Amino acid sequence: MQSPVLVLKDSLTRETGSKVHRANIQASKAVADIIRTTLGPRSMLKMLLDAGGGIVVTNDGNAILRELDLAHPAAKSMIELSRTQDEEVGDGTTSVIVLAGEMLHVAEAFIDKSYHPTVICRAYNKALEDALAVLEKIAVSIDVNDRSAMLGLVKSCIGTKFTSQFGDLIADLALDATTTIGVDLGQGLREVDIKKYIKVEKVPGGQLEDSKVLKGVMINKDVVVPGKMRRKIVNPRIILLDSPIEYKKGENQTNAELVKEEDWSVLLKMEEEYIENLCVQILKFKPDLVITEKGLSDLACHYFSKAGVSAIRRLRKTDNNRIAKACGAVIVNRADELQESDVGTGAGLFEVKKIGDEFFAYIVECKDPKACTVLLRGASKDLLNEVERNLQDAMSVARNIIKNPKLVPGGGATELTVSATLKQKSSSVEGIEKWPYEAAAVAFEAIPRTLAQNCGVNVIRTMTALQGKHANGENAWVGIDGNTGAIADMKESKIWDAFNVKAQTFKTAIEAACMLLRIDDIVSGIKKKQAPGSGGPSKPTIEQEGDADNEQMIPE
Amino acid sequence: MAIGNPDILGDRQSGQDVRTQNVMACQAVGNIVKTSLGPVGLDKMLVDDIGDVTITNDGATILKMLEVEHPAAKVLVELAELQDREVGDGTTSVVIIAAELLKRANDLVRNKIHPTSIISGYRLAMREACKYIEEKLAVKVEKLGKDSLVNCAKTSMSSKLISGDSDFFANLVVEAVQACKMTNARGEIKYPIKGINILKAHGKSAKDSYLLKGYALNTGRAAQGMPMRVAPARIACLDFNLQKTKMQMGVQVLVSDPRELEKIRQREADMTKERIEKLLKAGANVVLTTKGIDDMALKYFVEAGAIAVRRVRKEDLRHVAKATGATAVSTFADMEGDETFDSSFLGHADEVVEERIADDDVVMIKGTKNSSAVSLILRGANDYMLDEMDRALHDALCIVKRTLESNTVVAGGGAVEAALSVYLEYLATTLGSREQLAIAEFAESLLIIPKVLSVNAAKDATELVAKLRAYHHTAQTKADKKHLSSMGLDLVKGSVRNNLEAGVIEPAMSKVKILQFATEAAITILRIDDMIKLVKDESQDGQD
Repeated sequence: MQSPVLVLKDSLTRETGSKVHRANIQASKAVADIIRTTLGPRSMLKMLLDAGGGIVVTNDGNAILRELDLAHPAAKSMIELSRTQDEEVGDGTTSVIVLAGEMLHVAEAFIDKSYHPTVICRAYNKALEDALAVLEKIAVSIDVNDRSAMLGLVKSCIGTKFTSQFGDLIADLALDATTTIGVDLGQGLREVDIKKYIKVEKVPGGQLEDSKVLKGVMINKDVVVPGKMRRKIVNPRIILLDSPIEYKKGENQTNAELVKEEDWSVLLKMEEEYIENLCVQILKFKPDLVITEKGLSDLACHYFSKAGVSAIRRLRKTDNNRIAKACGAVIVNRADELQESDVGTGAGLFEVKKIGDEFFAYIVECKDPKACTVLLRGASKDLLNEVERNLQDAMSVARNIIKNPKLVPGGGATELTVSATLKQKSSSVEGIEKWPYEAAAVAFEAIPRTLAQNCGVNVIRTMTALQGKHANGENAWVGIDGNTGAIADMKESKIWDAFNVKAQTFKTAIEAACMLLRIDDIVSGIKKKQAPGSGGPSKPTIEQEGDADNEQMIPE
Repeated sequence: MAIGNPDILGDRQSGQDVRTQNVMACQAVGNIVKTSLGPVGLDKMLVDDIGDVTITNDGATILKMLEVEHPAAKVLVELAELQDREVGDGTTSVVIIAAELLKRANDLVRNKIHPTSIISGYRLAMREACKYIEEKLAVKVEKLGKDSLVNCAKTSMSSKLISGDSDFFANLVVEAVQACKMTNARGEIKYPIKGINILKAHGKSAKDSYLLKGYALNTGRAAQGMPMRVAPARIACLDFNLQKTKMQMGVQVLVSDPRELEKIRQREADMTKERIEKLLKAGANVVLTTKGIDDMALKYFVEAGAIAVRRVRKEDLRHVAKATGATAVSTFADMEGDETFDSSFLGHADEVVEERIADDDVVMIKGTKNSSAVSLILRGANDYMLDEMDRALHDALCIVKRTLESNTVVAGGGAVEAALSVYLEYLATTLGSREQLAIAEFAESLLIIPKVLSVNAAKDATELVAKLRAYHHTAQTKADKKHLSSMGLDLVKGSVRNNLEAGVIEPAMSKVKILQFATEAAITILRIDDMIKLVKDESQDGQD
């Protein structure tokens, strides 16, 4: 034999067999360990320094993991989980990682006993199915119109967050905001689009208690000519435009050859006339407020202020949409096509207020606002950022409940019930799958165990007591009170979780665990260019007309 | 060794050395994918230098992602790709068989049998094997009923990530393929699986994936003011800009009267407006365009209560046009020089709705008139998983399509390979020429599939394969034991069973292609007896 045959490049590193299984499990456990302490009401915050030197202070699982730069591919896959969870239901980002980590941890014992991973996966899938059936069984429905019940629910869901110390505040805000923008689609469907219709405006200063949900929209803008235009209008008539009120050249390249001097003045005059014409057309509808997404020339300002009309320019498209939703106006592009129905009359008050150093325009007291702004006040920017994250979670929870009004007990009670039921069932599972199935049942206990750990009680004693209560499948509502660590009935202490969130947590965690278990070979160091099209075509970024213009907004 | 030949700037190897090296390289490739074969095969995680992760079980994908350097090994990579294109599934099997064929051929050559004799022996064996599959082993689909399609899909999926939910996905796949059934002009029934749109949205669980009659466009509607739902929908498919009209680059308009300038501006805006009015007049209430729509133009759609979608992917537009019976229009111009839009260009659907999947807005076109387009919405824990599900479903779709088109299936789980092996061995003994040895080796190498299957499942390969061969021998020698020819492996229990009855089946065409491709690839490599590696040109060093 002569020189070894090189099939793959030297730069490739390849790991195979049970070594890979172990490495994957280790990596996943490491990720779970990072955020383990952020679970539950007695959780601690993490402070992260990002690459740019900025600080993130949070206990949101997703926010923490997003900032981490991990090298191990399996760990990356874990991080994706919390992102999925965040996007799908908005809450439970920590639980999903802890649960997935635990699922893999219990699988390690079986890998050591040289169980075949596919056997473990099959058992896990079976466990997932049964777990979801149990969830379905213990879930209770709730009336979404019962405000106090909803409030309690949202409160208990975000009870683990930093802002829980401020009492009902955040829950109140979230509930107000989501009920405001909820739209009945008919057929019993309710759509709550948080991303589009709720704006969270953070203004440092003041107290957190000053935060509120506006019945309308607030934007960080002032009127164009502060002195001359009115800053407070009751029952304003609002016209929204997404075109500039200034002279804009045509798309085609046009050259004018001027031979006479008069022509020059004609040209200039035409431009002026154009603006005047626009303004006249707008003013015909007697608006009190004109808002445009694009520019507004000085000349137009003059016409407007003369007519006693306030104007705001260079508004963001998304904000404009929200105003349209709030006051019932239609965004118009060409002034000559304005109609009476396009004018928004739904708002009760337009007012420009000065908060701190900046001016904010309020369009509030709307009759039937379908969009709203949540105004957050607080001591520092970092604090506000964390409050906003909490608020987002709370709103997601509220949305989930509005969409699917089902609840399961919190405080680890659900996991304990699932675990107890699965343990009982495991004796009826045939073949070697019985053991991984039972292990999955035990893994569910990770959540109450972590809760107990974080609130500093004797973990073993508490867990044993809880298991005892759940052992015969009764007492489905008994869990841990995360603050005191005492064993309590969740129904009485009003600690709930949304059914959607729990179901999603279980599904994501187990499916991801199975995926990682099935890997027996890691090849790294592949050059990207060698794999065209294999990662799926990346979406080309599309520059849209509106966006392109918005980018060029000039700060005033 | 003949290194240093004055005529060649580089290494030259020939004869047995080169053959051994080639075979070793191919063995290595075969070994890489070996563990991913079969229902208990495992997945590979591939990480590129940026850190992007791919998790897959698909032989073709694994080999494509790896940077295989050895020229002979590259032949095998291409082989897997070819199988992927032609059949869609069986990429792992084809590589393993080819590698095994080479290994055995190399042993023969060492025993002083000329490669050409081996090649002709392999060819003969391959032809006989294919004939045998088609005549004796293949079973008509009609005989087995509709379940066979589901079973085919399940068999294809069994080795993949979604094997746990294969019942669910198999039904999904069969429904999808049957929904896009169409008859072409010559009366042939075709299943254009390209018309099946696979959308991936992470969130929920794999079991929450669903099939959608109609087509899903991965973009939201152009303006918030548009209705969420239009029913019944009349769809116009456009392939041009609805922005302000603009002349080609470099065209300049020279005017002498400044007033003209204003008119040009006005005209630009009006032209688009007129076009939209024509569209709306023709009755369109859903407008899809591959290009942009001006913000200015959106208002007309909003007022008319129509949905407009911009930047639709061109292939999407084609599929929508096909499904709804619309004509994709690239210009309004008619022969008279005017611009018209006829209502016959419109496509019809029961409903067009914007829905929210996870965090994305998707425009769904439901109840299309011609209904040859369906969408599969995949849900799953994260993106890696979705990608792998996509690949698995693609394979399953291809397999179902092949089954429907070829109409014949064979038993899986090593049944065909064992039967062929027994048959070819018998055939070999009837031949008196040198090819006899090659055919016998060919027969022997087919057994690699049941062997690897049982090794992956951690079962006793020797015992199982021996049992399997015994069954097939009985089936072929005793006329009353014919039914034993579909005996294959049960890898969960580690026993031998009738796989045709157990529902482990594959399309016959896939097996035939695997044999053909594998043999051809093996022959290609076997014929090589000289390899010359040229020294790289100095000037090209910088690029490497």
